[in-house]
Amino acid sequence: MNPHLAVAALVGMVSLMFALPLLPALLELRRKSDALPLSVVQQNAGEIRYFADSFRTYIKSLEPTMQGCVAAGTTATGSLPDGEEYVVLGRVDEPLVLALQQRDKTHLMMGADIDLILPDDARFSKDIYAGGQFVGGEKNNFRAILGEKNVHLGAGSRVLRWVHAVGEFTAGLGCNLYGRISSDSLIRLQAGCRFLRLNAPRIEIGRVGVGPEAPSLQPSDAAPMARRFLHDGDFEVQPGEVIVGDILIRGKLHIGSGARICGSVKSVEDAVIGDGVAVEGSLISARKMRIGPHCAIHGPVIAERELAIASGVQCGSFEHPTTVSAPRIEVEEGVTVFGTLWAREHGQVVEDNMVASQ
Amino acid sequence: MRARPQQVRSDQGKPASGQWLRAMIYALYIIVFVICIYTGRHYYFTLNRLFGFQRHPYIDIDTADWPPVTVLVAAHNEEKVIANILDALMTVKYPADRMLVIPVNDRSTDLTREIIDKFVEGFPGRIQAFHRVAGKGGKAAALKDAMENVTTEVILIFDADYIPGAGLIKQLVAPFFDVEVGGVMGRVVPMNAGANLLTRLLDLERSGGYQVDQQARMNLRLVPQHGGTVAGVRLSALREIGGWNENSLTEDTDLTYRLLLNGWKTVYQNRSECYEEVPEVWPVRIKQIMRWAKGHNQAMVTYGWHLLVGKHHATLRERIDGTLLLGVYAMAPITLIGWALALGVFYQGVAPLHGVIALLSLTAYAALGNLAAFFEIAAAARLDGTRKRICLLPFLILGFAVSIFSVSRAAVSQVSDLVTGAEFHWDKTERFRKVL
Repeated sequence: MNPHLAVAALVGMVSLMFALPLLPALLELRRKSDALPLSVVQQNAGEIRYFADSFRTYIKSLEPTMQGCVAAGTTATGSLPDGEEYVVLGRVDEPLVLALQQRDKTHLMMGADIDLILPDDARFSKDIYAGGQFVGGEKNNFRAILGEKNVHLGAGSRVLRWVHAVGEFTAGLGCNLYGRISSDSLIRLQAGCRFLRLNAPRIEIGRVGVGPEAPSLQPSDAAPMARRFLHDGDFEVQPGEVIVGDILIRGKLHIGSGARICGSVKSVEDAVIGDGVAVEGSLISARKMRIGPHCAIHGPVIAERELAIASGVQCGSFEHPTTVSAPRIEVEEGVTVFGTLWAREHGQVVEDNMVASQ
Repeated sequence: MRARPQQVRSDQGKPASGQWLRAMIYALYIIVFVICIYTGRHYYFTLNRLFGFQRHPYIDIDTADWPPVTVLVAAHNEEKVIANILDALMTVKYPADRMLVIPVNDRSTDLTREIIDKFVEGFPGRIQAFHRVAGKGGKAAALKDAMENVTTEVILIFDADYIPGAGLIKQLVAPFFDVEVGGVMGRVVPMNAGANLLTRLLDLERSGGYQVDQQARMNLRLVPQHGGTVAGVRLSALREIGGWNENSLTEDTDLTYRLLLNGWKTVYQNRSECYEEVPEVWPVRIKQIMRWAKGHNQAMVTYGWHLLVGKHHATLRERIDGTLLLGVYAMAPITLIGWALALGVFYQGVAPLHGVIALLSLTAYAALGNLAAFFEIAAAARLDGTRKRICLLPFLILGFAVSIFSVSRAAVSQVSDLVTGAEFHWDKTERFRKVL
């Protein structure tokens, strides 16, 4: 072989080896096939009602049809602009509903003032719009429900994506509520219910108002500016003690029964809150937290690992709603939360005295 | 294994200086050791982001008794962009009666003042102008002067080229319900990512820096860094640490460390994303990174030793991570010195670690060490759900090359400034958006 050719071939091959990894880069630089800015959600602020609002917009074109069906007491079928099928009910007709539940690809729409009572074991894999009262039977399966009035789910029912009730939302024993559940007035869950994200002006878990009341909260406007008490290591607030200011504990925290914290509390390890404790600010644990019976917390309640809330606890108030959040939450019957109750991985309603006895 | 420098001869046949050669070899060992620590750190962060427990403790706070907040918008000759951010801030989902926007117009000579005044007229009570006409240059100095108008416990800070989304203010305020939190940092996303090669490389770098580095530090309870924009600070914490440091070139780094030393945490919110504009030309990028490097090195000299061994509230892991973080810009000149030493030792005819081991080490490092930063960025791109832009990864060599020499130049210039007594000069980053 010609030595010059060999050298040229060697140089060429080495150049090719160096250039090869750059080839996709050069092509992408030229084509700009993935050059748009990363998608940052600018307008959706993560509202719980986002899907419900979108669905309401989605079916807006059906309003005249629904009004017509209600006036005439008839039903109508058709397709939405994206090809999805729907059935509009202008009257309650149980055999018809029973027949519809077999049609998995059909949205069910009920006009205003049409109350619907579903039988047990019904299954709907498309979204439902209820203009009137909505009462589910036992062991029903739903994908999503938008109710303009009250929505009630029977025991053992399951929701896969979301429910929004303009009126009250109630769920019977042992319901599985995956996704987002919201109401403009009240959410009430019975024992055994599993949940992820709940939001309403008032969320009641089981029977509320039984037993002693939680201490009253009158947060001081000066609380956020109050001094901060920082302690390295475990710490115990004595029963009945009143502390003015924020508490930051770099260890485990135990707050004795009847204590009052006029400020916010943070524990970087586990926290145990005794009976009847009042916290005028937020209550945060970087690990697990157990809140004893009949406590009152004004601000957000956050546990980074697990949270257990005993009966009679009140979080937030009607005037000052708040958020209770943890990856895993166990909440006893008798708890009231004003605002949001959000279990990122698993939320469960347990019977009275289950948390306190742990 | 020990080198035998006294037996080594240079190419000219003159005996090499044994002491010098030994010093070079030991220095090289130390540099390689430090580089290995940073390599391990890159891998640790990346693997944590891919497989570890992800901390987002405050992101679920969507309902609360939201506290009053002041939003400071730092603006120095920002006529191209100031209207965008003020528009965006007027449409965010935060109680209007609890949010006051203060554009901090720092000695602007363009139309920034007129634009701000027009907004003040259009949104009475919601925007309060702060026109600064004299005083020391720099963002920290301007913010310090603007503090006399701030009365709220929570303060958010944006640079004028940012465009906050509707839910961003609530997301950045939420961590302040935690009494341990003194500062909050959101994620920065380039909006002009596709403009040219530089912006695309910066987009990848930002992705790695925030999606992996910052979030891993948050996950591991280390030291997420305050970025000085898309960020917040607690007024009482700021007062406790003595306010803004107007002598700092990077007030954000300075703030991070003073908060840490005083028992306050800075937390990072990866899902609190905000668009920014990145430099579109290399000279602007070089100026920017040189300022960051100088500011960071300044913080390293000021706080490094005290952070590592002093008596304060930082945990051991925060002390170690904080020190490593302070050293990131010092690594560029150190790496250059390492290269020079390696060449020097090589041409002295010495093969440290008996050659074969050195060769193995070299190949292992080439495979794993150099790859660490690329691995981090590739992981970030995957977490971001992007696909094709990862093809540009080889071009990052170019970005790194520019960075390493710019940062080294900054370090040299900083040392020379110390010797000559020259003052730091604050350079504003040029904007590329078209005037509305």
